[in-house]
Parts: sequence; C-alpha cells; structure tokens
Amino acid sequence: MIWYQWIAIIAFIICAIVLASDLVKLIKLGNPKDLSRKQGNVPAAIKYSFTGAMSPMAKESAYQHLPTYIGGLLYHMGTFLSLGLFIWFLINISLHAEMHVAIAIIFQIILWISALSGILILLKRIFKQELRSLSGADDYISNILTTLMQIATALFILNTSNEAFYFIVMALFFLWLPFGKTKHVLYFFAARYHLGYFYGWRGTWPQK
Amino acid sequence: MVTIDKEKREKALQILKNSNDSKLLTHLNACVRCGLCAGSCMYYLAMKDAKFIPARKVDLVTSIYRRYLTTQGKLMPALFNAKDLDDKMADEMVDLLFGGCTMCGRCVKHCSIGVDISYIVKKGREMLAAMDMVPKTLQSTVDAAINTGNNMGIPTEEFVDTIQWMEEELVDEMQDANARIPLDEQNKHIFYTLNPREPKFFPLSITAMAKVFYAAGESWTLSSKNYDVTNYGYFNGNNAEATQIARNLYDEVKNLHADVLVLGECGHGSRANRWEGPNYLKKEYEFENITAVELMAQYIREGRIKLDKSLNKELMTIHDPCNLIRNGGLLKEMRFVINSAAENVVEMNPYGNDNFCCGGGGGKLAMSEYNERRLKIGGIKAEQIKKTGAKVVITPCHNCVDQLVQINHTYKLGVQIKTIAEIVADALIIDKKQ
Ligand code: SF4
Ligand code: SF4
Repeated sequence: MIWYQWIAIIAFIICAIVLASDLVKLIKLGNPKDLSRKQGNVPAAIKYSFTGAMSPMAKESAYQHLPTYIGGLLYHMGTFLSLGLFIWFLINISLHAEMHVAIAIIFQIILWISALSGILILLKRIFKQELRSLSGADDYISNILTTLMQIATALFILNTSNEAFYFIVMALFFLWLPFGKTKHVLYFFAARYHLGYFYGWRGTWPQK
Repeated sequence: MVTIDKEKREKALQILKNSNDSKLLTHLNACVRCGLCAGSCMYYLAMKDAKFIPARKVDLVTSIYRRYLTTQGKLMPALFNAKDLDDKMADEMVDLLFGGCTMCGRCVKHCSIGVDISYIVKKGREMLAAMDMVPKTLQSTVDAAINTGNNMGIPTEEFVDTIQWMEEELVDEMQDANARIPLDEQNKHIFYTLNPREPKFFPLSITAMAKVFYAAGESWTLSSKNYDVTNYGYFNGNNAEATQIARNLYDEVKNLHADVLVLGECGHGSRANRWEGPNYLKKEYEFENITAVELMAQYIREGRIKLDKSLNKELMTIHDPCNLIRNGGLLKEMRFVINSAAENVVEMNPYGNDNFCCGGGGGKLAMSEYNERRLKIGGIKAEQIKKTGAKVVITPCHNCVDQLVQINHTYKLGVQIKTIAEIVADALIIDKKQ
C-alpha cells in the first residue's frame, strides 16, 4: 500500500473510533430518566419519528423549501454512496477487481448530481444574507470537504490516476467528520430518537 | 449591565456539564444550521429579523458548549463556531432566550434534524439564571409565588372573599343552597387548582368549573393558600425555585389527603406540574395528576355530566395551548370535550400540534419589557382567528386567555375568549334531583 492510502485508512479509523465512542457514551447514558407518568406509546413514537414525522409533508423545513429539501436528499445520498465506495476501494486494493462500466456510469451520475447539490447549498449559504448570518467556518468547511470528497470519488471512478488526490481528500474528510457539524451523521439519529421519546412519553406522537 | 466573571461563567457552564444526560448531549451537537426552521417561528415571521431564527437561539447555547466543553472548540474556536461567554453574549442570550422565544416548540417539530430547540433555550435560561440574569419582571413573579403562595401576591383574605362571593353566585345560579366551592377540606377526591388570574380578573371561570363539579356530583376542594397551578420557575430557569413551587402544591395535596390533583386551565402550569413536577421533586407522585381537560373528558365519557351542545351555537374556534397540545399530548382529548359542548366549531389553520403559540407563552406575560414584541407576534394568531370568522375563541389556558384578550383589543377582532370550563358549563344540563 502507498503512503496516502495509509493516511486515509488511519484517518478513517480515527473517525470511526471518535464516532463509536460518542455513540457508546450516548447509549451508556440511556433514556431520559422521567418520573412523570407516561401517557403515550414511546416505541411507536420513536418509530414515527424516523418515518411519518420525516415525511416531507410533515415538516415545514421540507415542504416550504422543496428545492433545498430535494438538494439535501441528493447530497446525502452522494455522501453515503461515497462512504460505501471508500470501503469498497479499500477492500479492492488487494482484490484489484474492475468496476462494471454501467455501474461506474450510474455512480458517476449520482455523485456529480450530488456534488452539484452540495455546491448549490454552499452558494445559498454564501449569498443568502440570513443564512450567512447563521454560518461560521465549520459550515463552510463541512460543506466544502463533503462536496470535495464526492468529486474526488467521482474522479477516481473515472480515472484511477487520481488516486493520490482521492485518498488525501478522504483523509481530510474523515479527520473533520467527527468534530465538525458533519458529526450529525450520528447525532441526527440520536436527535430523532430523543424527539420520538419525548413526544411519545407525552402522547403527542404518533400523530393521529 | 451584568459583568460575566469567571465564577459566573463556571456556574453557567455547570448547566451544560451535566453530561450524564444523553438528551442534552444530543441536542447540543445536532443542529446543522440549515436555517430551515426560520419560517416555523412566529418571532421570525412577525419581526422579519434573522436574529429570531430558532437556530440562532440554539447556537447561542451550543457555541458556548463547543468553546468550553469540546476539545476542538477549546483548541480552534474560530474553526468550530465556538464562542466566548462574555458580557455581549450574555446580553444577547437574555434578549433572545427570554425575550425572543416562548419555548412553544413549534420549530422543534419542523426542524429538519429534530433538534429540541425549546429544550436548548430552556438550558440557556438555566445558564442565565445561574448568572443572576433573569429579567427582574419575571423574577418578581416567581418571588411572589414563593413568598405568598401565588404568582400575583393575592392575600389569602382577598382570595377567600372572592371564593365566597363566587359560591354565592353558584348557589343563586343552581338555586341550591347546598352548592359549594369548598375550601381547605380534607379527604376529598379532587384537589383543584387555579391560575391566580382567575380570582383576580376572571372569577366567573371559577364558578364555571364549580358548576361542572356540581353537575358531576364531585367531591372536591380548593386550598386557600396553595391553589396556584402556575410555575414561572419553569420559565425563569431556576430549577430550585421551580421545585419549591411544585413542592407547595404537592405538599398541599398530601396535607388535604386528596386522591387526584387536577390542574386548572393553564398550559405551562399543567406542564410544570404534570410533566416536570415529579422530576423537580425527584419522585413519582403517589396521587393522580391530571388536567381539567382530561377530567371533563372523563365526566363526559362516564356520563357524569350531560351536555347540550345546541346551547353553544355561535361559530367557535380553538386555540391550542402549546404546553397542553404539542407538549402535552391532549390534541384529541381537548377536541372531544369541545365538540361535545359546542355545535359549531371551526379549526384554525394550522391547528393542533402545528398551531402557532398565542405569543404569551414562555413567561412573556410577566415580562413587560417585551410587551411590544409580544403583541406584534400575536398578530399571527390574530390573523388566524380572523380567517376562521369565529365569534368565540376557546382555549384551556388562562395565560393564553390573557394574551388573546390583548390581541383581541389590539387587532380589533371583536371575538369573545372563553375557557373550556366556561363552554362546558354553558352546555350543562343540570339534573335538579341530585
Ligand atoms: S432546522 Fe434544525 S438543524 Fe436546521 S438550523 Fe434549524 S434547528 Fe438547526
Ligand atoms: S420554541 Fe417557538 S418561539 Fe422559540 S424559537 Fe421555536 S418556534 Fe420560535
């Protein structure tokens, strides 16, 4: 293996360890200790929190901002695809398997659309005064690194001579992920869980 | 202006250091500053100022958390949006967390992630309370509750006089010399509570509920000292004071040996006692603890009261108090009671769990310095009411009633504001044989 591959692997391991330790901490702390008398169905509400409550029709953040919502969905799709491909590329260092052309083209399309969504979201943050006022370095760095790693993935699929660029970008992304706002990869799920728990305890969710 | 020294800062940080709380840890780390919550907050909608975007309020607290309690924020604050807790920051927190949020939770449901924004705002208020930065107006309301037993400082004699006067009204109305509003009686089934605004400004709502109890043949009592259902300690962020106020009610229920604590029509009071009370006192309550809405629903289901909804013919609409509906799960129960008592009910848009706060929540009615803002954001509710064409607005919360009365006046709505007990009392068919 080449040095930049090692760097990417080490960064990936650091990222995984930090996120795993955050996750273990959350799990160890457990559910909120609520001494009031429960009124609703907590498991059903947690399920609803991840399903019905996430439907675009249930949230103003989605149905009032459909272009951003769709852009966000595509962007996240590209992010998860890139993460999956990174694992595959690591395994493939020893396997040397060829990616089928049709699959490579589909991945390319997804990744370029996703990266474009990322760029548009970044432009929105830069040019929309109100959003800019909410933003700090973390917001820009998180977006740029995530978009860049999708572009790097797409380029790497296109041409493996981009290997060094690809692995270095991935390393930077992994080193940032558990510390920047990108850590919502974990906290999103925890937040949905807690929201379901809260509304479920009080009988607000599942919404009837 | 208060100066934030090291000691004050430490006290504030202690609130966030309570890291044995996975909910706190989660919501401190979850916001992605997408800004998509802006349009869900009435402050932002009414004031058209980015500082009122819910995420901004979250960020005041979370940026401090990152600055002092995360490694990356300590080492590279500029990179991770980590900010110092200094005088400027503390002033901004007071302005936005006390003065720019009613903790209604509307944005929470609509947040793209699921950040409990009002929970974080509450934590921010706790930090300010730890630094002695609670607005004096709000603090004096809490002090009154602690020192006198009720948040309006009504002397006991005055309260007892009002209750006796209302009892006479009840006797007249029921034409029954045995009709009662019992005070300080032991071993009754129900211990009923009031918002002090009732004896002070709306005594007829006490008679309305007394009429419901009369019709149901209920065994109940009020306390002459600890009848106040409100708990502004929930809003000022001082949990020790909130605990003290909750304990007063708890102890009184025990002293009078009642089986059920029924929380009068007050949204935050119901929340503070039903949901937060046992956690403040760190114990499960031995007695039942329900709201007046649930009690009336129970009476209707069990046939203990009979209603004729044709007695409430006017077009009515419902204002959902945030603490009873979105944060209290009573959406269906409340509609069951109202639709059993009124013939012609139309919903606002949006309503229920999506309803807009009246603008008077979060302790706003106690903070006169924000009156102008409060009435401006109330414009959203005024618009909602106008669009229904209703002549009566029903709401089971005296705080909301107070704000709605002011909105009614400011925006010239020409509506009547009523509590649920009043609507139910108006629809009662009283069986004179009982
Ligand atoms: S919608 Fe939620 S995640 Fe997005 S900025 Fe608002 S609070 Fe943060
Ligand atoms: S809790 Fe209510 S008032 Fe506060 S930010 Fe959210 S929507 Fe606005």
